[in-house]
Amino acid sequence: MFQHSALRYTALILLAVGAFAQAVTAGYFGLEVLTEILLLAMLVLALDMVAGFGGMVSLCHGALMGVGAYAYAILTTKAGLAPPVALGGSIAVTGAAAWVIGAIGARAHGIYFIMATLAFGQMAYSYVFEAPFFGGDDGMGGIPRIDLSLIGLDLNDSRSFALFCLALLGAAYGAAVLILRSGLGRSLTGVMHNEQRMRALGLTVWRVKADVFGLSGMIAGLAGALAAQHVMYISPGLLAWTVSGEALVVVILGGLGTLVGPMIGAAAFVILKHEVSNVTSHWHLVVGVLLIAVVMSRANGLFGWIEARWGARLERRLSDMTRKSDAEEITTDA
Amino acid sequence: MLETRNLDKRFGAVHVTRNVSLKLERGERRVILGPNGAGKTTLFNLLVGELTPSSGSVLLAGEDVTALPVAKRARRGLSRSYQKNTLFDGLTVEENLGLAAAIHTGAGTRLWGDSLASPEVREIVAEVAEQVRLMPYLHAKVSEVSYGVRRQLEVGVALATRPLVLLMDEPTSGVGPEMAKGFHELLNDLPRDLTLLIIEHDMDLAFDVADTITVLNYGEVVFDGLPEEARGSKLLKEIYLGSWEDA
Repeated sequence: MFQHSALRYTALILLAVGAFAQAVTAGYFGLEVLTEILLLAMLVLALDMVAGFGGMVSLCHGALMGVGAYAYAILTTKAGLAPPVALGGSIAVTGAAAWVIGAIGARAHGIYFIMATLAFGQMAYSYVFEAPFFGGDDGMGGIPRIDLSLIGLDLNDSRSFALFCLALLGAAYGAAVLILRSGLGRSLTGVMHNEQRMRALGLTVWRVKADVFGLSGMIAGLAGALAAQHVMYISPGLLAWTVSGEALVVVILGGLGTLVGPMIGAAAFVILKHEVSNVTSHWHLVVGVLLIAVVMSRANGLFGWIEARWGARLERRLSDMTRKSDAEEITTDA
Repeated sequence: MLETRNLDKRFGAVHVTRNVSLKLERGERRVILGPNGAGKTTLFNLLVGELTPSSGSVLLAGEDVTALPVAKRARRGLSRSYQKNTLFDGLTVEENLGLAAAIHTGAGTRLWGDSLASPEVREIVAEVAEQVRLMPYLHAKVSEVSYGVRRQLEVGVALATRPLVLLMDEPTSGVGPEMAKGFHELLNDLPRDLTLLIIEHDMDLAFDVADTITVLNYGEVVFDGLPEEARGSKLLKEIYLGSWEDA
């Protein structure tokens, strides 16, 4: 069951403070890297919801992000909708698409579910690649960012946009926590542990899977709409299966089923990519070696390793501190 | 409360369930006996919908549920425990009971609010934990408790859906004599209006708990009557009870 531990709260606070400090102090390149991390973090958060808490390892979350990006682009540039409305619309469209994929794929398990999601993702990619309406392989440009000048924010400024993405990542994290702590989220975890029993107890399993997959898709859609605004241009490459594969690597690297872990994984992945690519163009090799090391260590990703090493120690220290403060209070009262 | 009419199941050439007709009244406690391979578990699977019958029908509270899937039958009040523990191993005993109770109350599909913290669910969890003697283990993970406690939880999870009919597949399977004795008391303490259908090999438990006994042999009902009649049945001695009487 999803729960926050002292270590998870600490990691969250450190991540938020670190990202905020970077957003406030970094130059243009640093802000671009930060925004890239925040968008990837949002995508892997969505993926961890279904893979880590529902056992639905999806290889179409990159495509869902692409659906969100294209929906936003079309709603703003072709339908002429105001960007905030288009943002809501793109989230809704992606959520609906994800719900359908979840409902159809709910009956498949393990490798078959992975293959089914891969097929859905590739269908979307191929269609967008060939459809002139979506700009074909040229993609679509001229995508506007949301206008927040009413509250004194110019999102065309990289710093403001990074802060905007950080705020929305915080909101997405809050939504993911609420979902996983809700009855629906708890039931999804039950399904991951024992689908047969949940069904025998009266749960309509496919519906729970589809609902959470749809909600996860909404977060992926938000990430897509922001990605479209970030670069102001989108291409079919956004829907390619490699984006989904990369997201899955990041989730495993960070710590499946922890929510915080994949966000740490996103930061580590993007920083590693930029730092190593300064030295060699074969940065994938380094990430590959790191992934193998993480998997072979039997720890649940980077955050799983941290939790195993310091989680219990931190909990003990906190409980000692609580006991000490209680004892001091009793002494004072006496 | 629960009825089968001419229930039949074939797997290719193998005829596993033959024309089984049973009728359980509300609050009745019936034990199903039979040698290995008699089709007892298959009958349970047909009753709950995990298997589709080749012919015949299943009625719950007078309504034909033969075409309904497992989950819908469960929501109408048909719950089962398994011969082999089918629990949520990575979760605590409390969470196991809570998941089942949340499905019953509807909290398990709500998007707002923690189902396990809902007062209605907590009330059911506390009541069921009391009924199946699990109060001391509520916060322990399933993987950390003994086999006997897991058997109790197996029944507890099924009970937490507040069923009209509870099907138990060998609840004392694999437990020692002391624990089995505890199970007798546990089953006898369950609410009298709950209809029980139990597959059991433990003869003491069968005769202690049962209002009626049904014996299956080669998928066919060969005896249906009171426990005292079962004890005196010559046919039963031949196909099943001989070893028990000799023991």
